[in-house]
Amino acid sequence: MTKGVQNVSQVQIKVDNLNLWYGEKQALKNISMQIPKNSVTALIGPSGCGKSTFLRCLNRMNDLVKNCRIEGKISIEEKDIYGPDVDVVDLRKKVGMVFQKPNPFPMSIFDNVAYGPRIHGADRKDLDSIVEQALRSAAIWEETSDRLKSPALSLSGGQQQRLCIARTLAVKPRTILFDEPTSALDPISTARIEDLIMDLKKDYTIVIVTHNMQQAARISDYTGFFLMGKLIEFGQTRQIFQNPQEQSTEDYITGRFG
Amino acid sequence: MAREQYVKQLDLLRESIFSLGEIVELAFKDSMVAVIDLDVELAAKTLALEAEVNNLEEEIESSIFDILALQQPMASDLRLVVSALKITADLRRILGLSMNIAKIPGKIEGKHIKPLVDTKKMSDIATYMLENSLQAFKTQDVELARVAASRDEEVDMLFYAVWVELIEMMAKDTSIISKATYLLFLIRYIERIADHCCNICESVIYLATAEKIKLN
Repeated sequence: MTKGVQNVSQVQIKVDNLNLWYGEKQALKNISMQIPKNSVTALIGPSGCGKSTFLRCLNRMNDLVKNCRIEGKISIEEKDIYGPDVDVVDLRKKVGMVFQKPNPFPMSIFDNVAYGPRIHGADRKDLDSIVEQALRSAAIWEETSDRLKSPALSLSGGQQQRLCIARTLAVKPRTILFDEPTSALDPISTARIEDLIMDLKKDYTIVIVTHNMQQAARISDYTGFFLMGKLIEFGQTRQIFQNPQEQSTEDYITGRFG
Repeated sequence: MAREQYVKQLDLLRESIFSLGEIVELAFKDSMVAVIDLDVELAAKTLALEAEVNNLEEEIESSIFDILALQQPMASDLRLVVSALKITADLRRILGLSMNIAKIPGKIEGKHIKPLVDTKKMSDIATYMLENSLQAFKTQDVELARVAASRDEEVDMLFYAVWVELIEMMAKDTSIISKATYLLFLIRYIERIADHCCNICESVIYLATAEKIKLN
């Protein structure tokens, strides 16, 4: 059953009856949802509810997990991403991912951003403008333009995370997945990343996993609540946070859980 | 249960609104008795309730700001806090209007210019609306809130009927203008109290359903 958001004008990601097992343990149960294009969708729920597992299905990161089995269908831009003709490297180029802890490569700021375009065959003469554009889009150009050859690891945590976002943007994805992108950052860096995410939705479809309910409320257009591997409720963020339809959603977001 | 202190804060907020409602209800009922009977003593007792309401209103507001700033309420909790803030404002206005009513007996010398039959009817309906809007808040009873608010139309009709009657009386006998003007004020106050009861009913419906509707 598809929960919540129906009849959206443009669907970027369509999930139908997704089930996932790690060995014998079923981690996702009959997930169906439609994620609208150029929007921010937040996935919330207690630890172990399946939200990160679900996120990782969207760019087939779970393929790397041993004993992981998936049933159901995920279409991105109307293409079945688990279809036999799908090039996973190409999929991950289109569906970028930013992780919980900033993970810049141990190389210069420039090379971090240029890394993706290089392996995807970008022309050397285009690299300068690709890097500049990506750093500008990630709102970190002003802070790095005069030290592009410095090690990325010399940046602060918040700057490193924005650099990682720039690295993701450099390969021109259409969807970006964020897995708790600010949980390791201070409030000021968090606010900058949140502003950035809201700005990026003009050009990208964004799905974010967060434990921070206020963050989900602040930055997302749609919210999905996961519990014990099920998508309990999916709808407009305004509705979920003011008038959830399911008691367990209400209990979770009002902190009555447990 | 998680967040026990927070849940207690919300319960306390609810209780405070009930208490405020009870005092305001008492103030309105007594002010009406005082004005109909021209009972100056009861009027003075009613006027003394204002200080109590002011204190309680301050406590409620402070508790609402604490909950908003420190607990970040969501979903039905958020709706409770928003409704509590709005209901407090409506109750405060009802109290203010009741105080205006209670001041009238001190200004009228002798008897009323006419028996206050329709005015008493207006006040009975407004009292019903106040009691039941508060009861609907207690029980989050949407149907009761709708029924209570639906009586506003009767109050409005009586208001216009008494208004016309008083204007006609003044046109015929200018010596009663002073006393009649107080009665015009009186029916206006009751009519406004009924409107605030409708607002409370709207807040109850928002609290229970998240639906924002206009009832008057």
